[in-house]
Amino acid sequence: MDNQLKRGLLDVCVLAAIRSEETYGYKIIKDMKPYIEMSESTLYTILKRLETAEMLTVRTAEHCGRLRKYYCITGNGLNRITEFKNEWQEILAIYRFVTKEDDTND
Amino acid sequence: MTKFEFLEGLRKGMSGLPQEDIEEQVAFYGEMIDDRVEDGIAEEEAVAQVGTVDEILTQIVSEIPLSKLVKEKVIPKRRLRAWEIILLALGSPIWLSLLIAVFAVLLSAYAVIWSLLVSLWAVEVSLWSCVLGGIISGTALIFCGYISTGFVTIAAGFICAGFSVFLFWGCKAATKGTLLLTKGMAIGIKNCFIKKEAA
Repeated sequence: MDNQLKRGLLDVCVLAAIRSEETYGYKIIKDMKPYIEMSESTLYTILKRLETAEMLTVRTAEHCGRLRKYYCITGNGLNRITEFKNEWQEILAIYRFVTKEDDTND
Repeated sequence: MTKFEFLEGLRKGMSGLPQEDIEEQVAFYGEMIDDRVEDGIAEEEAVAQVGTVDEILTQIVSEIPLSKLVKEKVIPKRRLRAWEIILLALGSPIWLSLLIAVFAVLLSAYAVIWSLLVSLWAVEVSLWSCVLGGIISGTALIFCGYISTGFVTIAAGFICAGFSVFLFWGCKAATKGTLLLTKGMAIGIKNCFIKKEAA
């Protein structure tokens, strides 16, 4: 898949994983696993990028005697998901146009 | 590999990076391993699932801007002693000029690659101009009555078109190769700033 497209998709995937509740790194990976495999190093990069873009906030809290980072979506993050949904309609329309000929051949 | 060995490997491998970044990354991967262990996975298996130190370092190197690495490397870890400053100042006519010369040679070698590329594309553009020129002037010559000369000119135009199609693929491949080389060089330069001792 095109790197630029994949990067944008993964950003939205991570935002979707933290949309409903504040969550932590390992849970994000576990929640996404049935849909998409993501390495820890990729997740780290995405979380940093989203934090810089103010699409999520990070807080550190104690958990079972150690520190754990929790990620919470912001208004900007929610807006990005909405934007993505709108963009997706356009991508679907392009996809339908591209596969139109294949469907007629089938 | 245990969690301790993994995190130490990571820490050593990132030794050229800002301390703050190292601590943040080590904390992140430590948390990932701890959460897996809490989930019932054995420590060694949890470490293996997180990935190898080399893979992680490669990703870190490709993501960090070169300017940040240079800034971190240029700032000395400790204050320079008086004799070191004097030695640096006295030796500057030698080491500074050598450094500038090496840099200039490398820069010119890189510029030569790009100028070759520019000249290739220039030949491509001129071939297409010949195509256009050949067809237009050939047609004009035919209308003026110089039929054979006109046809020869048009034919020459088409020959140029053939060459330019071949050259276009060559230009495209050369541009792609140069861009890949630039990317490789950028990662190579970044690697100079990070000690991959963990490897």
